[in-house]
Amino acid sequence: MAYHENLYLLVFLPLILIVYQVFPKKLRPYVLLVFSCLFFLANSKWIIVPILLTVLIWLAGMRIEKIRLDAEQKLPELDKAGKKELKAETEKRTHRIMIIGNLIILGILFYAQYLHFTVDNVNRVFSVFGIDLALKVGKTFFPIGISFYSLEAIGYLIDVYWNKVQADHNPFRLGLFILFFPQVMEGPIASYKDTAAQLWSGEGLKVDNISAGLFRILLGLFKKMMVADRLARVVGCVYNNYTDMYGFMVILGAVSYTIQLYMEFSGSIDIVIGSAEMLGIKLPENFRQPFMAQNAADFWRRWHISLGTWFRTYLFYAVSMSKSVKAINKKLRKSRGKYAAMVGTSAMALLPVWLATGLWHGPSWTYIFYGFYYFCILLAETAIQPYMEKLEDRLQITAKTPWYAALNIVRTWIVIFTGELFFRAKTMRQALVLFKHIFTGSFFPERGVWTILTDQKAILLEKADYLAILGGIIVIVIIDICREKDLKLREKILQGPIALRWSVYYLLIIALLVFGAYGSGFQAVELIYAGF
Amino acid sequence: MEKLLEILEEIDDSIDYENEKALIDDHLLNSFAIISLISEIEEEFDVEISASEMTVENFNSAEAIWNLIQSKLED
Repeated sequence: MAYHENLYLLVFLPLILIVYQVFPKKLRPYVLLVFSCLFFLANSKWIIVPILLTVLIWLAGMRIEKIRLDAEQKLPELDKAGKKELKAETEKRTHRIMIIGNLIILGILFYAQYLHFTVDNVNRVFSVFGIDLALKVGKTFFPIGISFYSLEAIGYLIDVYWNKVQADHNPFRLGLFILFFPQVMEGPIASYKDTAAQLWSGEGLKVDNISAGLFRILLGLFKKMMVADRLARVVGCVYNNYTDMYGFMVILGAVSYTIQLYMEFSGSIDIVIGSAEMLGIKLPENFRQPFMAQNAADFWRRWHISLGTWFRTYLFYAVSMSKSVKAINKKLRKSRGKYAAMVGTSAMALLPVWLATGLWHGPSWTYIFYGFYYFCILLAETAIQPYMEKLEDRLQITAKTPWYAALNIVRTWIVIFTGELFFRAKTMRQALVLFKHIFTGSFFPERGVWTILTDQKAILLEKADYLAILGGIIVIVIIDICREKDLKLREKILQGPIALRWSVYYLLIIALLVFGAYGSGFQAVELIYAGF
Repeated sequence: MEKLLEILEEIDDSIDYENEKALIDDHLLNSFAIISLISEIEEEFDVEISASEMTVENFNSAEAIWNLIQSKLED
C-alpha cells in the first residue's frame, strides 16, 4: 500500500482520520501507533525490525540518563579532582552506550541492505587473484523504509548523548516516532525533538488542517500522475536500449529522469506531509525549489533536505570537529595557511559524508559513484570559491546579477543531470556506455527525435501525453517560483474565498482524472525512494 | 566581541553581523564557513567547541556565537 494508491488515499487515510477523531485525546496517539503498525504490515512482514530498534534506543536512552543522574547525585560529595574524574568516567560510559547502540542499528542496516553486495564484491576481488572463495549468504530480510528510520533512531540516540533531548521513558511514543505511517516509507527523516511531542499530543482534527493537507496531497498526486509516470517511459526507453542510443536521446533521458525523480519524490513527500498535516502534525520540508540552486552545495540544501541535514549534523560536523581532524587543520593552518587548511578539512569531512550518502541509497556501485561525484564537485566548489569571489569583484557582479545568476543555475543543472544519469543506471557499465554516447557516434537519431518519442512500440506516449508533461511542468515551475519569492500561494488560496478554494480543488481533481496517466498501457509506477 | 566580529568579517565581509539574526536559517554562513569560523575561534579564544554544540541556535547571530564563547570560557 503505497502513498499514491487508491487503497491508501481513499480507504486507509479517511479511516484513520475518522477513528482518530472518534477516540478520546489520551488514546489518539495509540490509534496512530496501531494504524502505523498496520500500514507497515501491509507493506512488509518485518515489523520486528523497527520494534527492535525502538526497544534498543528506548533502553539505551534511559541507561544514558541513569548514568548521568547517578553521577549528578554523587558530585556534591566529591572534591575538585574527584568531580573531574567522575565527569570523565560518566562521559566515557555514556559514549560507550551510544556507540554500541548505534553499531547495533548499523549492523542491522548492513545485514538487511549491504550483506549480499559486500559478499559479492569480496568474491569478485578474490577471483581477480585466481582464488575462488565462493562465499554465499542466504536470503536476508528487507523491512521497508529501514534506511529512513535507522537514521532517525541513530539521531535520537546521539541527541540523548549530546544532551539535546531528554531520554524518552515512554516506549510507545518512541515507537510512534519511528513507525509513524506517513513517513515510514520515504521520509522525511525527522528529528525526535521536532516531531515526537506533536505525534503524542492527540490534538483533534481541524477543518483548516484537513483542507491544507488535502491541497498538498492533490498537488503531490498531480506531480506524480501528470509528469513523473509519463516521463518514466521516456527514461525507461533510453536506459533499456542503452547500447544503441544517440547523444541527444541520452541527454533527454538524463533530463527526463531528473524531472521524473523530482516530481515523483517531492510529489510523494507532498502526500506524506499533507497526510500528517491533516492530523495536525507538521513534518519537516524535504524540498525547497532545488532547480533554482546557484551551485551544487546550494542544490543539496534544497534537495532531500532532511537527509542532508542528518548527514551534516551527525557525520559532517562529527568528523570535522573530531580531535584528529582539528589537529590536522591546526597543523595545515600553521604550515600551509588558512586556505589549504580549509580545503584539507573540507576534503576530510566531505569524503565520508558523500560516500555514506551514496551508499545510503542502496548497495550499488552507481550510488557509490554518485556520492563520490558530489564529493569531487563540492570540494572543487569550495576550493575555487575564493578565486570566484575575486573574479566577481573584478567584474563587478554578484550572485544577484541576473545574467550571472541564470548562468549559475544552468551550470548547476548540468551538474545535476550528469549526476542523475549515473544514479538511474543499474550498473556502472550501463552508465558509462550512456555517458560515452553523448560524445561519440551520431548525436541525433536519423529517423528524428519526435518519431522515437511517439513510437508506439518503444515509449507508448502520444502528442497529448507530451502536452500533459509540459503543462504539468509549467504549473509546478510557477508554484516553485512563487515559493522562491515567498508569495505564499497556498496560504492565499486556503485563506481566500471558499469559491476560489474549491475551484482549485476541482481543477486539480479534474486534471488528475482527465490528464493523469491512466489506461491499459499505464501501470502505476512504484515509488522510487520507497526502495531505498 | 570586537575580535569575534573581526573574525566573522574576514570570513564574509558582506554580512551585517551586528544586526543579522539568521546567519544559518538564511544560509548566509554555510558549513564550510562554520568550520573555518570554529578554527579561528578556538585559536583566538583558546576554547574547544564540540560537534554537539553545532546547533542553529548557537550560530544564528554574532551575539549567539559570543554567548557560546563566553559559556566555554566560564567552564
